Amino acid sequence: MQPLLHLKYRLLAPLVLVLGAVIGYPLAFSLWVSLHNYTLTAIGQAKLVGAANYLGLLANPSYWRAIGNTVTFVLVAVGLELILGFGLALLLHHRATPLRHLFRSLLLTPMFITPIAVGLMFRFLLNSQLGIIPQALKALGIHVDWFGSRLALFSLALIDVWQWTPFMLLLLLAGLEALPTEPFEAARVDGASGWNMVRYVTLPLMRPVILAAVVIRMLDAFKVYEYVYAITRGGPGESTETIQYHIYRVGFLYFRMGEAAAMAYTLIIVVLILVILLFYVLRRSAT
Amino acid sequence: MKGKLLITILLALALGIAACGPKPTPAATPASEAETPAAAATTAPPAPPSETVTLTVIMEQVPDYDIVAQLTPQFEAENPNIKIKFDAMPYDAMRDKILTSFLAPQATYDIIIVDNPWMDEFAKAGFLTPLDEYIAATPGYDFNDFVGPVREIGVVDGKVYGVPYYNYALGMIVRQDLFDNPDYQAKYQAKYGKPLTVPTTLEDYVQVGQFFKEQGIYGAAMQPQRGYKVFEEWKNWLYAAGGDLMDAQGNVIIDNEAAQKALELYIEMYKTAAPPDSLNWGFDESLRSMAAGESATMISYNWMLPTLNKPGGPAGDLAGKFALYEVPGGKAVLGTWHWAIPHNTPNKDAAWMFVSWLTSKMVDKQRVIMGGAPTRVSVMTDTEVWEKGFGKGYYETVLKILEDAEPLARGPHAEEIINEVGTYLNSAVAGEMSVAQALKAAAEKTREISARP
Amino acid sequence: MISRRLATQAIILLILCLALAIVIFPYLWTLLASFKTEAALNRPLDWNFTPTLANWQAMLHSEIPRQVLNSIIVGAVTVLLSLLLGAPAAYSFSRFRTGGDGARFAVLLAQMLPPAALIVPLFLLMYTLRLLDTLWAVVASHLTFILPLVTWFLIGFFDDVPPELEEQAMVDGCTQWQAFYRVVLPTIRPGLGAAALFGFVLSWNDLFYALLLTGKHSRTLPVGIAGYWTFRGIEMGQMSAAIILAIGPVIIASFFVQRYLVRGLGGGAVKG
Repeated sequence: MQPLLHLKYRLLAPLVLVLGAVIGYPLAFSLWVSLHNYTLTAIGQAKLVGAANYLGLLANPSYWRAIGNTVTFVLVAVGLELILGFGLALLLHHRATPLRHLFRSLLLTPMFITPIAVGLMFRFLLNSQLGIIPQALKALGIHVDWFGSRLALFSLALIDVWQWTPFMLLLLLAGLEALPTEPFEAARVDGASGWNMVRYVTLPLMRPVILAAVVIRMLDAFKVYEYVYAITRGGPGESTETIQYHIYRVGFLYFRMGEAAAMAYTLIIVVLILVILLFYVLRRSAT
Repeated sequence: MKGKLLITILLALALGIAACGPKPTPAATPASEAETPAAAATTAPPAPPSETVTLTVIMEQVPDYDIVAQLTPQFEAENPNIKIKFDAMPYDAMRDKILTSFLAPQATYDIIIVDNPWMDEFAKAGFLTPLDEYIAATPGYDFNDFVGPVREIGVVDGKVYGVPYYNYALGMIVRQDLFDNPDYQAKYQAKYGKPLTVPTTLEDYVQVGQFFKEQGIYGAAMQPQRGYKVFEEWKNWLYAAGGDLMDAQGNVIIDNEAAQKALELYIEMYKTAAPPDSLNWGFDESLRSMAAGESATMISYNWMLPTLNKPGGPAGDLAGKFALYEVPGGKAVLGTWHWAIPHNTPNKDAAWMFVSWLTSKMVDKQRVIMGGAPTRVSVMTDTEVWEKGFGKGYYETVLKILEDAEPLARGPHAEEIINEVGTYLNSAVAGEMSVAQALKAAAEKTREISARP
Repeated sequence: MISRRLATQAIILLILCLALAIVIFPYLWTLLASFKTEAALNRPLDWNFTPTLANWQAMLHSEIPRQVLNSIIVGAVTVLLSLLLGAPAAYSFSRFRTGGDGARFAVLLAQMLPPAALIVPLFLLMYTLRLLDTLWAVVASHLTFILPLVTWFLIGFFDDVPPELEEQAMVDGCTQWQAFYRVVLPTIRPGLGAAALFGFVLSWNDLFYALLLTGKHSRTLPVGIAGYWTFRGIEMGQMSAAIILAIGPVIIASFFVQRYLVRGLGGGAVKG
């Protein structure tokens, strides 16, 4: 009996159908919306405006501010997570470390907590008047305004680091443990040890893992929303208005869905470019 | 495998077809389950439904909801054919849910509550059922018994679209014991040459605030949080300086001299008398600051007074020491929640029966006695309410507050205007923009938004 | 040499303990907060408070336990569907290179779509299918980002399975599908486990979709916790108790799960 389609297509069919329904249709609808001046309170009067929503974004300072904030957030947060995660992974991988399993299981926990809970927890931990951390710092003479206009975005990034470094740690640790032992033995025979070992053997071998981990984490960090929602709501001023929050605000608080859809689409394109760039680097390093 | 594939393709097509046409039109009023024609201009109130109707009501999770939930079994007992189902949720989830209920061919909710910034927007979009005829057909309802400013919020273009549920007008809550403290009174008199009293002008307020800071207590727990909160607090200052968002003709005047003075004084208060680093503070933080005894005053919702004064409540052993006054200048920012009936529910008559019962003089009185925020003049001047509720002084003050109160913004874009103005105000307090710059930007933005259809 | 080794150990231990303290401190503080009264919560440095069980009692009698159950169900169903749909697809991508490299990228990209772009049409779709206020609506929205991620993960694992395994099985009389099902799939069991776990965690954590798609009966835990932020302030006591309820089992489970996770992930997913 000749099958209707080659096996490889039949294996794919259910996935394609389901994704088509839950992603394809919404994406198509959103594209349609982005080409109209669609406001939820005046649906019957939606007119085709072509690229007007997109062009309007170019001149919209709030939009660019949001993009800028998000990029800053992502770079700071993921950068710190990479450094801390890698450092911790090395330590937990080291044979001399005592109680490795205990540390590992406890250090991984933050990534499993629902982010809104993390946001609310830190909102009150870092509150200038009522939080224990600023009070303790004050006792030491250090005065930090965690959610003031200069530090707010950075504080949110630190919260992200608290929650997601364990995730980075997990991926990097898995990568470390899967590395072949021969290069390390060969290097040891050549007299390398400690820091040199890390720099000339571990890092190059880990490059694909690191890149994959960074890509995954960056894609996720771009969608940051819960911390902003729980603590600053975009303020002070517009300093913590991230792009996902901005789309939420324009679409769901002001009901200007056409504009919001256009923003969402440009975001998709921006991230697309980012991912393609990163994958080119990955491909090149793998060869 | 072949058959399964075919079925899945058909299902997907069916989904596609069913989901097409995402532009629902406002439904024509279908026949209600009652025998009487829907929304007919009769002289008698609508008759109870002949079959059991379940009304779904969207609510916000606040203590006023708990009171409504407690009262509802009474209604259900008197009206055995109507069952009430509540869907309570946090504020942020509500707006989207209500909106999507409006857009659907058949409403998810039969009764909704409407926050005042949404009223004009929803009414003008045709989402709400006009209630004038219902009110006229309900004897003894006395719509004019609701305090004027509160009542007017539900009236759009001359038609009534909502009836008041509860108010959240702002007042000034103070630590009365601090003002009565003879030691402080002596010091204040010595320093400023006048007695220490609860301030009624902005300049006095700032002065009192600075004075308390010198004594080791913050003058005011402020709420300069970006967006809604800062505007809600600051507009009281704006009123006190004689300003407003728009004048009577609809011109935007938020960048005039009065506004600049109000903002300058507000920022001075923040810098010299408020708790440090409270730039992001909203309602929660300032309440906790008061409850912990760290601040002497705060501008907040009038019904926070009973909460603060409750023994065993958040204020601990400070309970009983708080008092409520009108904000300096006497004109306050008004917020309200109204009951409304969506245009696309088939159960309008039954919905009105519940809403009119709940907001009737008798039941509303019960609600207020149980701790609800009042809206009717008759209830606020009722001695039984004074006795069983929070005392004569409280209700008299609330009535005074409500009589001279105005909402933050009106019009179909109120929500957006409030948020945008609030962003600029917060920038000014943060020092990112100068007072003049911030107000100018706020005014321009408001004009731009108002000019939209 | 010994003293040097001890010194290294000591430093490593110190750093790890510091990291541990940073991780654990918020938990401990929240646990403490769950036993405080309203008045005590407003005075964080006051250590003389009398602990109360009121918050826990209120929380356990509220909707929270039910919401935990909803979250578990949504997570389990989402993961199950993701594995059922994603594993065959991943095998197809891996073994047959269906769609070339472009297809793999497309799958990855599918999971980074901003939820704000998808929510309104998803809502209308769910409404049309009468699935609002059911757990299915949430599952559907979660599939939008978990299904692609799981698929992408599994592609890496399938890449690592040598084709000789299936060839041997087919020589022994299996069709390709049977070879996949009976021979290849069991080989990547650790990978399936890791993917399942990630999928579950992502579903468990989602707030955005759940906030807008759930109703009274279908609310999930993140929405429940967010619900403590009312118009009249945050009910910190009960919320702290709910958070502890949400993370307590997680901490316990992670003791058992982490070894498995590390081994599973090393298998292939991170090699892209």
